[in-house]
Amino acid sequence: MRGWKPAPHVLLLLPAFIVLAAVVVVPLLLSLYSSFTPFRLTRPDSIYTFIGFRNYERILTDKDFWIAFGRTVLLLTFALNLEMVLGLVLALLVEKATRGQRILRTIMMFPMMFSPVLVGFQFKFMFNDNIGIVNNALQSLGLTDQAIPWLIDGQLAFIAILVAEIWSSTAVFAIFILAGLMAMPREPLEAAKVDGCTPLQSFRYVTWPFVMPFAFIAMTIRSLDIARAYDIVKIMTDGGPAGRTEILWTMIARTAYSDARMGLANAMSYIAILLSILFTAMFFRQLAKARQQIGAEW
Amino acid sequence: MDENSAHRLKRGLLKAGHLIGLFLAMAIICLPGLWIVLSSLRPTVEIMAKPPVWIPNELSFDAYVAMFSGVGQGGIPVLEYFRNSVIISVTSTVIALAVGMAGGYAFARYRFRGKSAIFLGFMLTRTVPGIALSLPLFFVYARLGIIDTHFGMILAYVALNVPFTVWLIDGFFRQVPRDLAEAAQIDGCTRWQAFWQVEFPLARPGIASAGIFAFLISWNEFALASQLTRSTNSKTLPVGLLDYTAEFTIDWRGMCALAVVMIIPALTLTFIVQKHLVSGLTSGAVKG
Amino acid sequence: MNKLLAGVSAGVLALVAGNAALAQDLPGKFDGVTIDAKLIGGQQYENLYSRIAEWEAATGAKVNVISKKNHFDLDKEIKSDIAVGAVNWCVGSNHSSFAPQYPGIYTDLNALLPADEIGAYVDANIAASTLDGKLVLLPRAQFDVSAMYYQKSLYADEDNKARFKEAYGYDLTPPDTLQQWSDQAKFFSNPPDFYGTQYAGKEEAINGRFYEILRAEGGEYLDADGRPAFNSEAGVRALSWFVDLYNAKAVPAGTTNYLWDDLGQGFASGTIALNLDWPGWAGFFNDPGASKVAGDVGVVAPPKGSSGARTGWSGHHGFSVTENCANKDAAASLVWFLTNEDSQKLEAAAGPLPTRDAVWEWVISEAEGDAYRQEVLKAFQEAANGAYPVPQSPSWIEISNAVYPKLQAAILGDMTAQEALDEAAAEATEILEDAGEL
Repeated sequence: MRGWKPAPHVLLLLPAFIVLAAVVVVPLLLSLYSSFTPFRLTRPDSIYTFIGFRNYERILTDKDFWIAFGRTVLLLTFALNLEMVLGLVLALLVEKATRGQRILRTIMMFPMMFSPVLVGFQFKFMFNDNIGIVNNALQSLGLTDQAIPWLIDGQLAFIAILVAEIWSSTAVFAIFILAGLMAMPREPLEAAKVDGCTPLQSFRYVTWPFVMPFAFIAMTIRSLDIARAYDIVKIMTDGGPAGRTEILWTMIARTAYSDARMGLANAMSYIAILLSILFTAMFFRQLAKARQQIGAEW
Repeated sequence: MDENSAHRLKRGLLKAGHLIGLFLAMAIICLPGLWIVLSSLRPTVEIMAKPPVWIPNELSFDAYVAMFSGVGQGGIPVLEYFRNSVIISVTSTVIALAVGMAGGYAFARYRFRGKSAIFLGFMLTRTVPGIALSLPLFFVYARLGIIDTHFGMILAYVALNVPFTVWLIDGFFRQVPRDLAEAAQIDGCTRWQAFWQVEFPLARPGIASAGIFAFLISWNEFALASQLTRSTNSKTLPVGLLDYTAEFTIDWRGMCALAVVMIIPALTLTFIVQKHLVSGLTSGAVKG
Repeated sequence: MNKLLAGVSAGVLALVAGNAALAQDLPGKFDGVTIDAKLIGGQQYENLYSRIAEWEAATGAKVNVISKKNHFDLDKEIKSDIAVGAVNWCVGSNHSSFAPQYPGIYTDLNALLPADEIGAYVDANIAASTLDGKLVLLPRAQFDVSAMYYQKSLYADEDNKARFKEAYGYDLTPPDTLQQWSDQAKFFSNPPDFYGTQYAGKEEAINGRFYEILRAEGGEYLDADGRPAFNSEAGVRALSWFVDLYNAKAVPAGTTNYLWDDLGQGFASGTIALNLDWPGWAGFFNDPGASKVAGDVGVVAPPKGSSGARTGWSGHHGFSVTENCANKDAAASLVWFLTNEDSQKLEAAAGPLPTRDAVWEWVISEAEGDAYRQEVLKAFQEAANGAYPVPQSPSWIEISNAVYPKLQAAILGDMTAQEALDEAAAEATEILEDAGEL
């Protein structure tokens, strides 16, 4: 009787397997196949033509693609690191507050409630060079008499996108780091104080190592769904002007639907997926290391 | 005495500095959001003005009145969208939690081959950009005939959230000492009873925190929803935002008003759950 | 003469098709029929759909709206349907700029509707709706062509008049040519507080503007063989017009990132003197609750280029019937009903431009006593006379996506106009070759 009954962990994992297979794996195999065809949405028959690695060859030799690739890595790196630092600062500020924790924590998560579409429009209007409030504020404060072309200059546009992205996602880091701070045992900190450590030192040697794993969890989660940034970039600049803010996702989306060249776009997606896997695996390893440091079992 | 007052002064300064820093941080977080709220209440002429109008001259609920006044009178089917959003987000969150609990429990309590590979595999399904998924998913859904249904959306969101809930909940179950459940079993509980009466209550904060994340993600998701929904049968609020855009024009004030309608439930829920959220993450995710 | 021709062709068609639908009176009777429809959604478009109930009552059929989405998402959805072979619905919203991308899925409405009915629409709109001789969509009263909005007070100001005359040697009146537009934009500009004009700077928007200025300058986008020909002398002239305004700081520095929403908000903020824009904004600009320039808005026909032709990039929304539809007659009747005189009056009363001759007359007579509305209609009617659709290539949007970054690069000074256009033409040629159109 027991011999053929599946093990309990198989049963328990089965629902997760089924859901992920149906919604992620099967479609993914389909799109893997189509990346070897010249599939165009408007010509369904083209999915039956097999062209081998032509799409991949085309992408890998395309300068614009690699520039977008590099920019995406840069954006990820900047965004994730800045979000971590700001999240840390925010968490420290909130943790120190003696009153109003409930309200403060809720406000801290406020940006997470906004749909990325809306964030995109909001920041596009704010950074509008002519009527946006950023330039208007700078001008009425007398800090500049120029209309700063926020979304035009390559670097400024990068910064503007970064600001929008950071605003909308720092909360994820803050909440995790805050959780870490609150879980921290008091004794080591007090011991450090007795030993005459400055606040900065005790932060560096006591608090930070403890909080780090939390920061890495947040980082892993964020690197997983950073493609959310797509909605924001799409609305703010759509990769423009003149390709100055093009990132992988805007490029893929345009190729896939607007140009209707799904096969080519899927080949690009696969390269983008490799990138995300790389980022995720990296954080995962760091997380494991950090966990060991604080003596958690893994 | 002198040293004491210098010390006190220093403390006072530190405290003031902290308060100012806190205030500034909260202001930066709130301003873009509050600007959206404000934009929904004031006439468009003041929103994009130059020189800027900082203090609104008049506030009105016109945009909200218009939103609810029915299709054709400047309204959008906001009640239907709201209903769809609630049904889809809540159901998918609950299912994702159930699936996540089962999976998390398996990872935490059983030893089996390829465990970490499977675990990493789960996580990696999350790295697939929505855009790579949307057409093939559409293809599968079209064949199954579940385009534009609640079921289809719920299924997609469950898949979106399962890796995350499995991960968090796994951590929490690890943290609940094995002996507790074993003791309960010795006392005559079945494993099932031991789970519900001993392990589940202890892991509740973790489940709450996974839940709020899953809920917020489903509530705001746009890329998949815009592909898989079509009509008031299943269109959700984030997709509904685009009802305020026409080919050449945009009703920014209306969009802001709808955004406020979207935020209120999310904010309320977060406010209620946030206590669990923080304490939950604390004990679960890392120590696990 | 027109009537006569229409009558004759109706007769011919009736003979050829021998179709029952031609003989019967519209909207007809279709008891028990259900029509699945995909309609464009959004505030501006949905008022019309209240008429569907009337059609259902008149014909006994039912309409099942299976999708209601914004323009671009609907386009994505239809392409997805084509891709997975799921075009199993009857009526779809369509647009003259997008229609060429959906080859073969929509049926020829000429065969389903009497020719004298089709003759009642504006000829140019019908021409823009016809692909390879097939009438693939019936235009609704959502016709878009641009006209020039301007701030009236600037032109009434005596000091401005005198200074302008001295600097440019001719009287200051609202611009009638591209040259005047450019001169006046530079004259009025006072960055960063005030700009002479602005233009849409990305995606299909700037490509469309470039296309119409190119045509006004006597150039062509695709030549008779369908080959990209915009890197001509006229092309360089057209692109240089954009570059020159940008360099002179007569447009906001952000203009290459502007889309229609930014443009509309910009003009409404009172910081832009001249704005070539769509009819959808006419009400918004003159509404004191929405716009600073309300009461001070003038509208004239779009400017002429050196060829003497006015700019006239245009497009219109409409409805199509699919080839797969089981009840094409009923579907055609619905499409006709949603674009008939009463339907168009309903839509046009709210501001959008009609596509039937009779409704044009009606809106103009309705505007009696409303000077602003009359001015708007006069300007747009003149614009409509010279209007034309985008090149009817299925690859138009794809070409746009390849061309616009190059246009931006030239405007921002990354390359010269000639280089930009040559590169763009090479890419466009490659796209057309890949698509098998060349």
